[in-house]
Amino acid sequence: MSGMTTTTARRDQAQTARFPAPDGNRAARRRKLLRSRLSSAGLLLVTLVVLAPILLMLKVSLQSDSDLAANPLSLPSHLNFHNYVAAFSDMNYGRSVFNTVLITGGAAVLVLLTGSLAAWPLARLTRRWTKVVYQGFVAGLTVPVFVMITPLYILMRDLGLLDSYLSVILAEAAISLPFAVLFFTSFLRSVPAELEEAAAIDGAGALRTYWHVVLPLLRPASATLLITLTLVVWNDLIIPLVLLTSDDKQTITLDVYSTIGTHAYSASQLLPTVVLGTAPLLVVFVVLQRHIVAGITAGVGKS
Amino acid sequence: MRLNNRSAVLLMLPATTLYALFVLYPTVRAILLSLTDAHGVRGGSFIGLANYRQLIHDPQVTAALWNTVLYTVVVVVVQNALGLGVAYWLYSNRAVRSIARTGLLMPAMMALVAVSYLWQFIYSPIGGPLNALLDAVGLHSLQTSWLGDPSTALMGIAASYIWMYLGYTATIFLSNYLAIPDAVMEAAALDGARGWRRFRHVDWPLLAPSLTVNVTLSTIGSLRVFDLPFIMTDGGPANHTQTLSYVIYNDSFRDFHFAYGTAVAVLLLFITIAAGVLVTTVLRRREVAA
Repeated sequence: MSGMTTTTARRDQAQTARFPAPDGNRAARRRKLLRSRLSSAGLLLVTLVVLAPILLMLKVSLQSDSDLAANPLSLPSHLNFHNYVAAFSDMNYGRSVFNTVLITGGAAVLVLLTGSLAAWPLARLTRRWTKVVYQGFVAGLTVPVFVMITPLYILMRDLGLLDSYLSVILAEAAISLPFAVLFFTSFLRSVPAELEEAAAIDGAGALRTYWHVVLPLLRPASATLLITLTLVVWNDLIIPLVLLTSDDKQTITLDVYSTIGTHAYSASQLLPTVVLGTAPLLVVFVVLQRHIVAGITAGVGKS
Repeated sequence: MRLNNRSAVLLMLPATTLYALFVLYPTVRAILLSLTDAHGVRGGSFIGLANYRQLIHDPQVTAALWNTVLYTVVVVVVQNALGLGVAYWLYSNRAVRSIARTGLLMPAMMALVAVSYLWQFIYSPIGGPLNALLDAVGLHSLQTSWLGDPSTALMGIAASYIWMYLGYTATIFLSNYLAIPDAVMEAAALDGARGWRRFRHVDWPLLAPSLTVNVTLSTIGSLRVFDLPFIMTDGGPANHTQTLSYVIYNDSFRDFHFAYGTAVAVLLLFITIAAGVLVTTVLRRREVAA
């Protein structure tokens, strides 16, 4: 995973080396350069169009309602940070971020540990029954959460877990497990079993081998999975909406929803709330983009 | 110690327990629950297929079914066509590839809830940016109440979903493009295959794996769409943007018709499985043929 960008860069270099520009024909070369400049400009324009709603959101979040009515599309006449102060106090922001981190962290620990424990034998032991277990996990990827949401609610109620962090942690972890098991298994299949065999020769038991050999081996995959999981839990609405009722336990996305709800909020109230709910993840994305792209493209070419 | 059947079972125990208890059991329980007349958490009595007989004549459910299918077809076709186009562009333009991909992926990092509120604002009939933009370029005849008009509401929601996941789809196609060996593209260039001809005969068959992934993901994702109609339109105007997931939530957690809502959920489950099987068999066969 960590080698991904460098490999791409190396291949880019190799490509340039293998396709030397035809010498002599200067006009053709200039035309080619112009075309690639135009293509770059076009691509950046498309990107800008896609980003426009986000930029618009940032702009309007800093405008007062009267300023917005006068300048719906142009830049604000002055920046109004008061919107954010109001939104911040309407939301339960600090608490919700804390809750989200706690729930994400709990679910991540559960998914990473149980998922990698299961993936190890699934990758190394090819028996008929391990294939059945593997297929069982694959099947979970297609079940829409809406199918199980009501029985899940009843189950959590029977277990006395409604309106607890644990209920959301367990539900989010279980729903993310299929992807984790698949991801870890395909990662392990791509690395040789030599280290584990060496540990076996040294007389290490299964759990010691797992802890000292397999888990460190899975570190890059775990990082990618952790980021993907953060995205999922952070952005999920339905599970916290159904399982949580108290304001002081809600996740950030639920906080955005319950703050705005279906009130007739004006733009200057609405958009700062949305920005506050979105900003932390956008920052994470910019910093850890490589892992996010690796998580997104995990399913390609491993069939 | 080498892995044997016994140690393998023990290692898999935590994950399978968690998965069985909170995914498999609720799914099976859903099917059983849909055969009762349960209201709220009190378990009702067995009534066989009565809920299913009722739901095929329920105008709300049939409208939701039609909306969900229409939405899914539009999203799958448009999102993949645009995503493929953008990926082709990213692939052939190395200079700005990485910065463009970062920008295009940005919307996919937002919560669906945030996207819903943002686009609800963009579409708003009075003082909304979309109408203001149309006015600014002299197209005020096109101005409308985007989410309040039955003819545009569902497609408006589809557009915001496509906006969100365009970069995601393109990223998957692009990673497939980058995995094509250089030798293949060189050979194509030597044979004089360029532009559309190269795309048709070289790129398209080689992109089969990512097409399978993308079509599968967008089909499953749009069949279960909930947050967008729930927040942007609350199912309105009339029944025009109600989706199956929306009806499931509404029946189960607003009206507390647990059994009936779950019967709709089981319908969604079977549609999802059918669509998944269809997509996989058709597209996997293509992969093998290529």
